[in-house]
Amino acid sequence: MSGAPELDPVIHAQARLRVVATLATLRGGDRINFPRLQDILQMTAGNLSVHLRKLEEAGYVEIVKTHQGRTPTTLVALTRRGRFAFEEYTLAVRALLDAPQTLDPAQPEETP
Amino acid sequence: MVYVTGNFDHEPADDHDELPPADPAAALRLIAEQQAEAARQLSPNLLWYYWPWGLAWLIGFGLLFLHLGPNGRVFVDMPLWLPLTTLFTLLIGAGIISGITGARTYGQITGDSRRRGKWYGLAWGLGFSGVMAVLGPVSEHLPEDLAGLLWAGVSVGLTGALHMAGGAIWLDRSLFRLGVWISVINIVGVIAGPGWHALVISLAGGGGMLVAGVVFLLRDRARGATLARSTRSTRSTRSNR
Repeated sequence: MSGAPELDPVIHAQARLRVVATLATLRGGDRINFPRLQDILQMTAGNLSVHLRKLEEAGYVEIVKTHQGRTPTTLVALTRRGRFAFEEYTLAVRALLDAPQTLDPAQPEETP
Repeated sequence: MVYVTGNFDHEPADDHDELPPADPAAALRLIAEQQAEAARQLSPNLLWYYWPWGLAWLIGFGLLFLHLGPNGRVFVDMPLWLPLTTLFTLLIGAGIISGITGARTYGQITGDSRRRGKWYGLAWGLGFSGVMAVLGPVSEHLPEDLAGLLWAGVSVGLTGALHMAGGAIWLDRSLFRLGVWISVINIVGVIAGPGWHALVISLAGGGGMLVAGVVFLLRDRARGATLARSTRSTRSTRSNR
């Protein structure tokens, strides 16, 4: 056994995990408006921007600035890479949870 | 701390937001709660879609039946404009409520879903324009009972077909089944004849939509709860479909 799975440090932070989990619920090909995302996450605009930028730098999130009519809009979506990273993270966390806690060979096996 | 595996034995971060979840269970809980909240906010309360339409059909077609029942029997003596005005007012109201519900739910999301919804809405609009354009001049030459049956039969038939198409577009079995139900009761009603058709559409159609609204609502809640319990999902649920 190669030990515990590595957890993606970009997603392994509460705030960004919430952002990514939310974006993962969108259907493929959809983008969400920044204010609506902010509303769902209950984060301040500044705070959300910081985390989105980090996710964008990692290539997990795509941010598009556009216009809807005359109003400038910022649209956010998870990239394929971001979706994959989220799925991998979830699997890794589950693996940690499901793994027996007696990995240390020094300790006796609890179950036969 | 119980879990010392993986990266959960983190060093303290300077920013509170940068803190990892306390342990794997907390991470999964955070994901589940956040996704349930997102699903709740990003999907419409389907009662708002189906109840206005269901009530419109139940009351509107119910009045039409009372106005002119089977074999020309009159249950309640009232002028034709009364059930017709009631039906159309309720239908227009239902259309407006659907529009508001859709805009509030999907208004801030762009992309494929929005395009799908928009084109599907256009199919309804143009479809019914076509029905009106054809039936308007034709029905003038028919006796009242047949004209009524023609209007109701074609309109309800188109509604059933569009619900089935919606089920196909979103791969939504419940929506497809509702379309099948509407189509079948429409055919049954038309075969039964004028008067009966209004009764069938009122009770089975309008009532059916009221039931469908509740069923869809409960299904979505259950699905939200399931999603919350398992995020392993994406792979396993797809194969279960």
